[in-house]
Amino acid sequence: MTNNPRVRDVYGSKYCVLYQDCSFNELLFAVRDKVDKGHRLLTHPLSGSVKPNETPYKSIMISVDRGPIDFESSSLISSAITAATDKKFEKYVERQKTFNKRILEDFQLVDYCVITSAIESARTGL
Amino acid sequence: MSKRVVHYINQFFANIGGEEMAHIEPELREGIVGPGMALNAAWKGEAEIVNTIVCGDSYFAEHEAEAKEKILNWVKEIKPDFFIAGPAFNAGRYGYACANICVAVQELGIPVLTGMYQENPGADYKEKILIVATRDSAAGMRQAAPTMAKLALKIMNGEKLGASCEDGYMNNGIRVNFFEKERGAKRAVDMLINKLNGKPFVTEYPMPSFDRVAPNHAIKDLSKATIALCTSGGIVPKGNPDHIESSSASHYGEYNIAGVDDLTSETFETAHGGYDPIYANEDPDRVLPVDVMRDLEKEGKIGKLHDYYYATVGNGTAVASAKKFAAEYAQKLLAAGVDAVIMTST
Amino acid sequence: MKTLELGYIHIKDIIIGSESKVENGVLYVDEAALKALVLEDENLKDVSFDVAKPGESVRITPVKDVIEPRAKVEGPGGIFPGMVNKVEAVGEGKTVVLKDMAVVTAGKIVGFQEGVIDMSGPGAEYTPFSKTLNLVMVCTPADHLLAQDPDATLPIENEKKPEYEQAVRMAGLKVAAYLGDLGKNVTPDETETFSTPNLKEGIEMYPDLPRVVYVAMLQTQGLLHDTYVYGVDAKRTLSTMLWPTEIMDGAIVSGNCVSACDKNPTYIHENNPVVHELFKQHGKTLNFVGVIITNENVYLADKQRSSDWAAKLCELLGVDGAIVTQEGFGNPDTDLIMNTKKIELKGVKTTIVTDEYAGQDGKSQSLADADPLADAVVTGGNANEVIILPKMDKVIGMLDYVDVIAGGHAGSLRPDGTIEAEIQVITSATNEMGFGKLSAR
Repeated sequence: MTNNPRVRDVYGSKYCVLYQDCSFNELLFAVRDKVDKGHRLLTHPLSGSVKPNETPYKSIMISVDRGPIDFESSSLISSAITAATDKKFEKYVERQKTFNKRILEDFQLVDYCVITSAIESARTGL
Repeated sequence: MSKRVVHYINQFFANIGGEEMAHIEPELREGIVGPGMALNAAWKGEAEIVNTIVCGDSYFAEHEAEAKEKILNWVKEIKPDFFIAGPAFNAGRYGYACANICVAVQELGIPVLTGMYQENPGADYKEKILIVATRDSAAGMRQAAPTMAKLALKIMNGEKLGASCEDGYMNNGIRVNFFEKERGAKRAVDMLINKLNGKPFVTEYPMPSFDRVAPNHAIKDLSKATIALCTSGGIVPKGNPDHIESSSASHYGEYNIAGVDDLTSETFETAHGGYDPIYANEDPDRVLPVDVMRDLEKEGKIGKLHDYYYATVGNGTAVASAKKFAAEYAQKLLAAGVDAVIMTST
Repeated sequence: MKTLELGYIHIKDIIIGSESKVENGVLYVDEAALKALVLEDENLKDVSFDVAKPGESVRITPVKDVIEPRAKVEGPGGIFPGMVNKVEAVGEGKTVVLKDMAVVTAGKIVGFQEGVIDMSGPGAEYTPFSKTLNLVMVCTPADHLLAQDPDATLPIENEKKPEYEQAVRMAGLKVAAYLGDLGKNVTPDETETFSTPNLKEGIEMYPDLPRVVYVAMLQTQGLLHDTYVYGVDAKRTLSTMLWPTEIMDGAIVSGNCVSACDKNPTYIHENNPVVHELFKQHGKTLNFVGVIITNENVYLADKQRSSDWAAKLCELLGVDGAIVTQEGFGNPDTDLIMNTKKIELKGVKTTIVTDEYAGQDGKSQSLADADPLADAVVTGGNANEVIILPKMDKVIGMLDYVDVIAGGHAGSLRPDGTIEAEIQVITSATNEMGFGKLSAR
């Protein structure tokens, strides 16, 4: 699940990519809704050192298959939401509006590299 | 010009007497009484205690509203630059009085400070007002007075507050940076050595602790009481009609259980995503004990089980949201004449 | 017994000129020779050198890495094995160190990059690298890396950024190794020896001392978030063990610079403060057994595996205590808590080192994860603290991106040249290996 167009463009044809044009936090909530439906979280929702809302982009890997609600996934996504919706990150939202195209592309690139490292892990292991 | 300070102390520190004199009403005195001497001396003329308020600890505890009103009126009249109370050390009612009167005076826009032992019940207010940590007996006055005096002067002069460990106040939930004498790695090694040797050590970041809620007074006659069930364990009618989220819940549900004697896997389930739901779904009474409440009702142990229960999911739900939900449905419970609530968690 | 002697040559000045040598505590740098060395990499077009001295009105930004020049004088292998020298186990013999100085690489890889070193003023208090003589190198990318887009505000093509990152990373290491070599024939001002017994020897030597291991967590999450061990990208490794002295020979190098306050530059790995403090107590109050390195990956199964392995190694070594340090914020908090919990549950007592993101007002929850078993925490301070950095007479690097660096916010570069930012933009301000004295309560 991603709101990063670069991830959609590169991986969209190889993997099941759910792209949403939404904010960082909205993506976390969308992932939470998937977890509620029984998908498991495969990557950490707060990966990367770029802070929530500082970067507009986030890509999170979840399982395609569904089961009973996975409580580890549920508690991880919930603590990520708690952390990301903290008011300390609000100030970044205003700043996002000032980003030009290239800065946005840089944020896309870093998010892309972070999820790529997870895809490499997923390809070779469970 | 020297800053003007009002000091609050109890009957004991005013040399009036101990427990037998704890009933005395608040009185306003000119100038310094008792421990104020040490504070005043430390200020070296930069600040001065203009009045001392003396109040019996029992009186404050038993006539809090009257005591507060009287004291606040004096303070409003004197218009001091600063209000200081105690230190109360381990005296529970004194600490309670110091903390409460400080909270009230602070609301007038006057900066306040008190001091007491960390386990004094008054220390529960440490996130509302600044409280200097003292030893557990009056023998600690020699350390407490200069610390309080120094911090008080700092606040009066509008200086930036240092970290709690630098300025001697109890951690008030606000993290403040400062430079330690030793680098972090050395502190970590020293801390580990203490931990390995069973010696005391103080963590620099205590893991988050949770609010403590004082229980209400006990119900005198349960057999006449209406009791409601509430839960953060996510028990909802089958199908989760209000779509309560499995984590970071945005709302709560209100559900009628009039005539329901037992929650079954056919009728109820959990929406909670933070624990293994198998056993809750198998028998939702395990989380929301409607069955045993009905038994108690039949046996006459309780008056009545309230017709509605309130449920949300506690999994990662922000404390602020949880407080908001409860504040809202507490009003509904009050309006419905409910006497007590059993809140089940998971 | 593994023994390494470090020979310290204190550098008092750096002079850029036409000859490379170390003489009477002065480092002379042959600019042309260094340039030729750096430009061996076809991904770089040019490099400029500058010196920043403590106390000067100089700002360096955006800092990519900070490296201490070192060279092997005796013993197997070379400095930065697997990166600059061939991959051969290091950590014994003699190593010479150019002290009181650092090589600082500056280069813009992404637009929101950060990393500020102020050589004077309030910002200088927060970074250890205001106290070192810094040879700063700014690397210009080769033409074939440049963006074709005329609107580009950053010169590099997106696809080529990882190549540029690697080029700048390697350039810094090569220069540091080159400068270190200049110290090989110089008699050090002082020496210090570090010896680690093997397990059997250690137990025999110190039967009554508690046995302590150091668990170093390395951030490993992709571009600008990576760490390399003997040339291996550490995200593709299982938790493993090192002799503490291998780290002093540059076995671990940094590819990390996003959120500069709590990323470990190569300099801090070389001078790992936990390793040094444990050596000080070794044989006295504890028996320092060795170093476990473990990674901080994105993929949850990797986190699970790596923390299981870190705890398992503690168990296998039968240690009594462990110091755990993390790198970064957010999801590494999960790794930190997983490691700590699992190690404590093996009956091993832990102390952990972290930093905090408690918000500008200090009121937010500091860590993204928590557990009561983590009851002994050392903190490097609140990275969200706001600081005003005054205008400096000289800027080495580029300043135009400071207003988008993490911790800065819109308009953080004020018209008068001052910067209002959080201390997280400052290189190593809240270092989580406990390099600095900053803390919080």
